[in-house]
Amino acid sequence: MAVRVQRLPRRRQPREPHRLFWAVLAAPGIIWLTVLFIVPFYAMLAIAAGYVNQVFGYPVAAWNPLQWSSANLGAAWRDLVGTGAFVGPIAVRTLIYVAVASLLSLLIAYPTAYFVARFAGRRKGLFLVLLIAPFWISYMMRMLAWVGLLQPDGYVNKALGLVSLGPVNWLGGLPLTVILGLVYGYIPYLILVLYAGLDRIDPALIEAGRDLGLGRVRTFLRVTLPMSRQAILTGMLITVLPMLGDYYTNQLLSGTTGTTMLGNVINNQLSTPGLQGEGAVFSLFFLLALMIPMIYYVIRTNRTSREAM
Amino acid sequence: MTTTTATPAPAERAGTAARSALGRLRPRRNPWRHPWFLEGWTWLYLLWSLVPVGIAVLFSFNNGQSQSIWQGFSWRWYFADPVNSVLHDPNLHAAVIQTVRLAFYVTLITVPLGVAFALGINRWRGYTAATFNFVMILSFVIPELIFGVAMFFVFTTLFTTVGLGTLAETLALVTWNLSWPAIIVQARLVTIGRQYEEAAADLGSTHWQVMRRVMLPLLTPAIFASAVLVFSSVVDDFVLVDLLNSNSGNTPMSVYIYSQQKGGNGRPALNALGTIMLVMSLVIVIIGYIGYRWMTRGERGSRVDAIATLAGSD
Amino acid sequence: MHPREGWSEDGPPRPGVSRRSFLRTSASAGLLAGGLGPLLAACSAGGPPAGAAGTTAIPLPRPSNPVTWPLFKDNPVIKSGLQPEQGTLKIYNWVAYINQQCLKDFAKKYNVPVPQVTTFNNTDEAMAKLRSGQVSFDIFFPTIDLMGQLVYGKLIQPLNHSYIPNISQAWPDFADPFYDGKWRYTVPYTIYTTGIAWRKDKVPENPYTMANPWAMLWQPKYKGKVAILDDYREGISLGLMKNGIYNLNTTNASQISASSAALLDLAHLTNVHIDNNDYTEVPAGQIWIHHSWSGDMAPAASYMPKGVPVDVVGYWFPPDGRGPVGNDLITVLKGAENPVLAHLFLNYMLDLHNGLTNYTYTGYMQPLNGITPQRLVQEQLLPKSLMSTTVRPSDFRRGVMELQLPVPANALWEQGWQRVKSA
Repeated sequence: MAVRVQRLPRRRQPREPHRLFWAVLAAPGIIWLTVLFIVPFYAMLAIAAGYVNQVFGYPVAAWNPLQWSSANLGAAWRDLVGTGAFVGPIAVRTLIYVAVASLLSLLIAYPTAYFVARFAGRRKGLFLVLLIAPFWISYMMRMLAWVGLLQPDGYVNKALGLVSLGPVNWLGGLPLTVILGLVYGYIPYLILVLYAGLDRIDPALIEAGRDLGLGRVRTFLRVTLPMSRQAILTGMLITVLPMLGDYYTNQLLSGTTGTTMLGNVINNQLSTPGLQGEGAVFSLFFLLALMIPMIYYVIRTNRTSREAM
Repeated sequence: MTTTTATPAPAERAGTAARSALGRLRPRRNPWRHPWFLEGWTWLYLLWSLVPVGIAVLFSFNNGQSQSIWQGFSWRWYFADPVNSVLHDPNLHAAVIQTVRLAFYVTLITVPLGVAFALGINRWRGYTAATFNFVMILSFVIPELIFGVAMFFVFTTLFTTVGLGTLAETLALVTWNLSWPAIIVQARLVTIGRQYEEAAADLGSTHWQVMRRVMLPLLTPAIFASAVLVFSSVVDDFVLVDLLNSNSGNTPMSVYIYSQQKGGNGRPALNALGTIMLVMSLVIVIIGYIGYRWMTRGERGSRVDAIATLAGSD
Repeated sequence: MHPREGWSEDGPPRPGVSRRSFLRTSASAGLLAGGLGPLLAACSAGGPPAGAAGTTAIPLPRPSNPVTWPLFKDNPVIKSGLQPEQGTLKIYNWVAYINQQCLKDFAKKYNVPVPQVTTFNNTDEAMAKLRSGQVSFDIFFPTIDLMGQLVYGKLIQPLNHSYIPNISQAWPDFADPFYDGKWRYTVPYTIYTTGIAWRKDKVPENPYTMANPWAMLWQPKYKGKVAILDDYREGISLGLMKNGIYNLNTTNASQISASSAALLDLAHLTNVHIDNNDYTEVPAGQIWIHHSWSGDMAPAASYMPKGVPVDVVGYWFPPDGRGPVGNDLITVLKGAENPVLAHLFLNYMLDLHNGLTNYTYTGYMQPLNGITPQRLVQEQLLPKSLMSTTVRPSDFRRGVMELQLPVPANALWEQGWQRVKSA
């Protein structure tokens, strides 16, 4: 005989009244972002849609949307896809460089983080200190040291000479140098994030996988890798997105025009009187293009955290 | 958390299958052996990462102005040179002080703000939360130069009471770095899950107690990691501070280093300064470590546990 | 500050950007206005916010068109005979462009604290901060093309000559220069030329015997070893001169695009580097032919690697003097807290001994009567092989200066350069 079970009222949000607590907690950050990020963001829009002071050459922002001008937008669009456009190929080149660099970063960072998280044992402290050390020495100092090493008569070429490999002109506009430079600059962040994520993986689960007959590689592929997905995603977020806007690496390690990246274009325009409005427009295009990965990250994180509940 | 989908075959059958798949010629290897490949990989990476640091330190003792040609050993840039050494150049003193000052102010504001923001946004579901999460990420990906330009504009025409100077630099840097703790803590929250909170709530704690006694301790590694990142990000930052400084009293080291690289006629004292900063950071970390050990005396076991906890494991 | 100044006969005038910009592409550049308060208010009314429509024109100084800047009632000269203030002088200058020793000696002489130097990386940044009114300096080191903005923007104050008798030590040209008649607002600071630095031991060609020395850079056999300066005026000027055009303030669009094309050609032939690190790269041998500034090459001796003599470094400037020359200026800012002390500082820097001290650090000479190439070599401040880095009065008078351009022409120059940089 069926028993009638009284259905409990279904709540969409468990613990409704507690939302207020979390809202209050987030409030200071929200107010801060509104005043000090959203307002400047609007200022950026106003500059992008603004004018140029004809006397002194500085950009004049158009605060009132009714007065927005599309001059800068037109110029930017022409430079992107019009005749004689030079920004399109640069954007493609940037994507390629960043794709290669982030893949390389992941390939280098993951084993390292994995090793330190799981196998370092007693020397974990030492490894961590060494991994964090790059953060203490200014990024610029490290890169300048590399510039010294990569000179035609620098130590890298000398080392290559020892194994009879010809001297390479590393700093003469080699895309490889720029890509490696990108990797070098951003990998410490990736390692730290991956470490934090991999560290959380319960070794018992891995042992369980082994016990159930998976070899090392398959344990990794079926147990560890899926569990580190969130860490990889976060790591990629903090690596790929800033890399796309990077200009300094190319400026420092190449200095020739064959390897300019999107960041260099934006940087040059923002530094040029009269072209700052166009630079602001390109920054907006750039952000628009990044919307997709950003939205993906937010959705993914929400889904994963809901699964974790 | 995803679970493995391996079929629960008896170990022998899997072992046999593995052996036959790999070929009978392959000797059985200990699956728990030490991963020499991974360790070698790690050491190679560390070498690649830290050799330039060594070089920077080395050239701070260079007897000439060059950054790549060794011209002899000397203490010139530390104290021997009566005009341009770290000890004698008042601009460099001011720069160090400003760097440290900014780094501390910004870290002290950003980390609590970011952690609270992350906790709040993550637990408070809804469209407003998602929107601001998105805004926070936007603040992370926006190219720094355009953000700096907009901030300069805002501080000189809209919020003129702030003007330029240390306050402006601090406000801009906090906004710029807010995403570090926000993202890292959120990532950690995702993996922690809700079970601890719910257990504590079931046992009768209020929200504040849950926060203080459950969430924050669990998040300590993430908080520490984000503090390290924010601190070093501020020390390195030159775009924002260059735009927002108003005199040499509020110009940090990074601006000098950047100018040197781009054509200032040689300030090798900066390498000396960098080395000093490195030593100072090491000292701070050691003090922090000793302090942590002292604070948690009686609770913790070995030394490695302490470092490991501070830096990321549970 | 009032952005209300108007248009010249050529159209709306627009200041060219400094040719002496160490950091043309630096991250810290590209600045926005300060003082847009009134503009903001105007924005709420209908119509685009224009800084245009004015009635007075800002003149563009040229050697053939000398300008005497007006004096304004609300920007008076300070009184004579005052005692110097005892405060800290605040100087706003390029990076590493003044010898700290000079500042220390000044402090000792006048019994004041050592002057404090704040630096900027390029003139856009400097002007943006000065216009914003949020900074407070006493002394500023501008370039000639900023004079219009500085005077009409009332950012600098006219000088009281009674405090600056040392002007007699400077070349007589500077008592009435074309860019500042009767030296109302400025005294000269450094003087320099733009030429070609090369490594004699790596490059057999001698620019002094070449038909078109500027084309020395365009040789594919030196691929990867050639560099040009990262400055839009210098870059396009190089292209113009290679094409035989010596009007470095040209407004002719086809000349400018021909220059741009020549530079793109250079990039393809030699994979040219674009940077301002000539002072280290040539001594170290990383670059063999570098388009460079005279003052960057003068201190080459202190950048040579151990065992390499300094005379392998050469610097060429056209012997007939028809090449780019320039000079920087020192001015006193309007809101200066220590105006008398500032005037005394200007006087101090015009003194021969201090000029020589400054030279030992910066490598850039000042146009003082006592600073001659022979003197510098004799006092062992300059190796004989680099005597060409000094500027003689004849060079200065025959040379071509890169001066302020009218707005549309400046835009052409900028765009041409952008193309080169993004090839």
